[in-house]
Amino acid sequence: MPTLASRAWIAGIEVLLFLVLSLGFALAEYFVSGLFTDFGPSNFWLAFVVLAGWNAWHFAGSQTALGAAAGHYVLTLDGEPASVLTTAVRQLIRFGVLYGIPVLAIDFDLRVGLLVWLAVAVVIRSTPAHRAPWDLAAGTILASDIGPPQGLAPLPVVRDAGDLRLDPRRAKLDRRASRLMFLAGLTSVVISALIVWNIFTEAWTFVADDEFSWGILTDRGWFPRDGEFDLSTLFVGTLWITGIAMLVAGPVGLGVAFYLSEYASPRVRGMVKPLIETLASVPSVVLGLFAISFIAPEILQRIFDDIGIFSLLAAGIGVGILTVPIVASISEDAMRAVPMELREASYGLGGRKVTTALRVVFPAALSGISAAAIVGISRAIGETMVVFIAAGGNGVFNTDPVDQGQTITAAMASLGAGTDQVAGSGLAFQSLYFLGALLFVMTMLLNIVSDVIVRRFRQVY
Amino acid sequence: MAGTSTTVDLGDLRARRGADVRGQIFLVLLVASVILAFAMVGAVFYDVTLDAWDIISQRFWDFLRMPSSSDPTKAGVAQGIRGSLLIALIVVATFPIGIAGAIYLEEYADDTWSTRLIQVTVRNLAGVPSIVYGLLGLAVFVQSLRGLTGGSSVIAAGLTLAVLVLPVVVITSAEAVRAVPPSLREGAYGLGATQWEVIRTQVVPAALPGILTGTVLAVARALGEAAPLLVIGAAGFYTTGNLDFLEQTQGAFTALPMNIANFARLPAETWRGHAAAASVVLLVLVFIVNLVAIIARARISKKLGR
Repeated sequence: MPTLASRAWIAGIEVLLFLVLSLGFALAEYFVSGLFTDFGPSNFWLAFVVLAGWNAWHFAGSQTALGAAAGHYVLTLDGEPASVLTTAVRQLIRFGVLYGIPVLAIDFDLRVGLLVWLAVAVVIRSTPAHRAPWDLAAGTILASDIGPPQGLAPLPVVRDAGDLRLDPRRAKLDRRASRLMFLAGLTSVVISALIVWNIFTEAWTFVADDEFSWGILTDRGWFPRDGEFDLSTLFVGTLWITGIAMLVAGPVGLGVAFYLSEYASPRVRGMVKPLIETLASVPSVVLGLFAISFIAPEILQRIFDDIGIFSLLAAGIGVGILTVPIVASISEDAMRAVPMELREASYGLGGRKVTTALRVVFPAALSGISAAAIVGISRAIGETMVVFIAAGGNGVFNTDPVDQGQTITAAMASLGAGTDQVAGSGLAFQSLYFLGALLFVMTMLLNIVSDVIVRRFRQVY
Repeated sequence: MAGTSTTVDLGDLRARRGADVRGQIFLVLLVASVILAFAMVGAVFYDVTLDAWDIISQRFWDFLRMPSSSDPTKAGVAQGIRGSLLIALIVVATFPIGIAGAIYLEEYADDTWSTRLIQVTVRNLAGVPSIVYGLLGLAVFVQSLRGLTGGSSVIAAGLTLAVLVLPVVVITSAEAVRAVPPSLREGAYGLGATQWEVIRTQVVPAALPGILTGTVLAVARALGEAAPLLVIGAAGFYTTGNLDFLEQTQGAFTALPMNIANFARLPAETWRGHAAAASVVLLVLVFIVNLVAIIARARISKKLGR
């Protein structure tokens, strides 16, 4: 018997499905103009008709073995399986109430309509089906609420194994499949070979170019179009961004990990963890926008007098927010992997919770936690869009975090943003690959180090 | 404990009188960091929605269906939505390669140096910054395969992002395949099935929920990536004119994250709202993708009776 919460949840999904459908019609209309009348409430009615039809069809189908397997049994009031026609009528009546009223309201006002819909859906779904007026009107009972009827039990599935001596056709298929899988496995190797080959040959043409001299790598700043490629400008920017990001993500991520692994009850954990994880699914462009529309004006400009909208500090905090879920989830995994016996031994010796967490769990999970930090650093170094949007770098050498700055990735993005001009203009284009090679080597080394740490120091409990 | 022995100094542990002040402070700090993390999530969604509110309340449908424009009252993200959907389609179309690769690693490969090489490569590829994939896309899909993709096109972008998410697909699918209990395989072998038949009828169906989760995460990631697109030359602003559908897939293109980056970098404050509204559209798209996965996963698990 479904609970009220699950009914409300299903109702919510239906509302969403309805909106998606409406949006789909709007999109279809946009691509094929004149397909439907015009964009507006009419699309809601289209979606309504489709949903109603689908629902009626779905439940009518439940009178077949397929629907029975899905657990829908619509019966007549006598308890006999209802005919397909009766079922369809029942669904249409039900739909008239469930969707018709809200769609009318939506035509009037979208927000009011959606609220009405949710309310109606929850009320309808929390009424026991065998007593619901719309069911009695249609002369049916939904039996999935009162258990499967005898006559309609799902048929047992019988698989005919047949003659299983290996015939040549099956053997051939088997060999072919294994070759195909091997090719797929090889793809990843081919891709990484391509990446390495591409980046390093192009980076080499940068170094081997006539205009190149090691002097241009230590110049006044990063101005690729003027032939000035000062790497220290980018390194300082990258260091600031990474440092600030880890100052944000380190303590917060570790705190969350400690809380989730040592203090939170399973219920609290089940609620907190998904919320933190939603942060991981926020695209980095959105965080970049957040940095210039919230972090810089609402927070930083109240603390520092002379800070602009664009600064390394704002970008670093943005990158830090992006890194929190990574640090939190890897460290939490490491802490949860510490066996209970260690904690119990500590308690047995009279250790308090805080002592156990800091002096037993923390040292035991240290390898995993440092791996988390390294993965976080590698992620922060490679993060592009936040810095590209929020650091506002102009290539001038700058060591002040409240000022604008440029990182390796943001410099690449700026070069890429003007690809049409960059392509073919000699060193500027090649410098893109030179930076790519640097970035590739740096993150690769960090990843290998974190791998080695985890392996070398993993204690086998 | 194997290997090294760890000395743990627990200090003087005779029962102390009085309140556990240190423990309380520690707990307060932990709760504070959890609240801070929540505040970050909340602030991001709140701020973006707030900034987008003007457009959402006044001309949201219009915003969804209008192409880019230099007039703030007319500009929309229709091209971006179209580009993002096409990219997602191409990425999804390449998933079988990743899943097959995972099946190879888990079901076929012996533990030799070449297998380990593939495993290490895949793990490291997952950690390569996304913008580096943009370089690969620029060199391979935009320049070398110009005939196929038509240069900086939505096809090149889709293939680049497909390569970007391939390691994620392989790693998560391999984990799902590894979690299938060996008894299932042994049962099928016992009935005389070939290896391919075991994989097709037992391993893949049982691993499907896990594979699905991984692939959906990959789609969500591909939807949100902007850096590689920037490098391979996605346009922030362009006009399509009267090109037909096929011509459009080979010409200039954009995607939602590119729209956002483009709006956000425009100097005038008036475009902030556009960036925020485009972010809302992107977040909703990512949310829908995740929701579809949750529902599909639940349905499959139910069907498998687990």
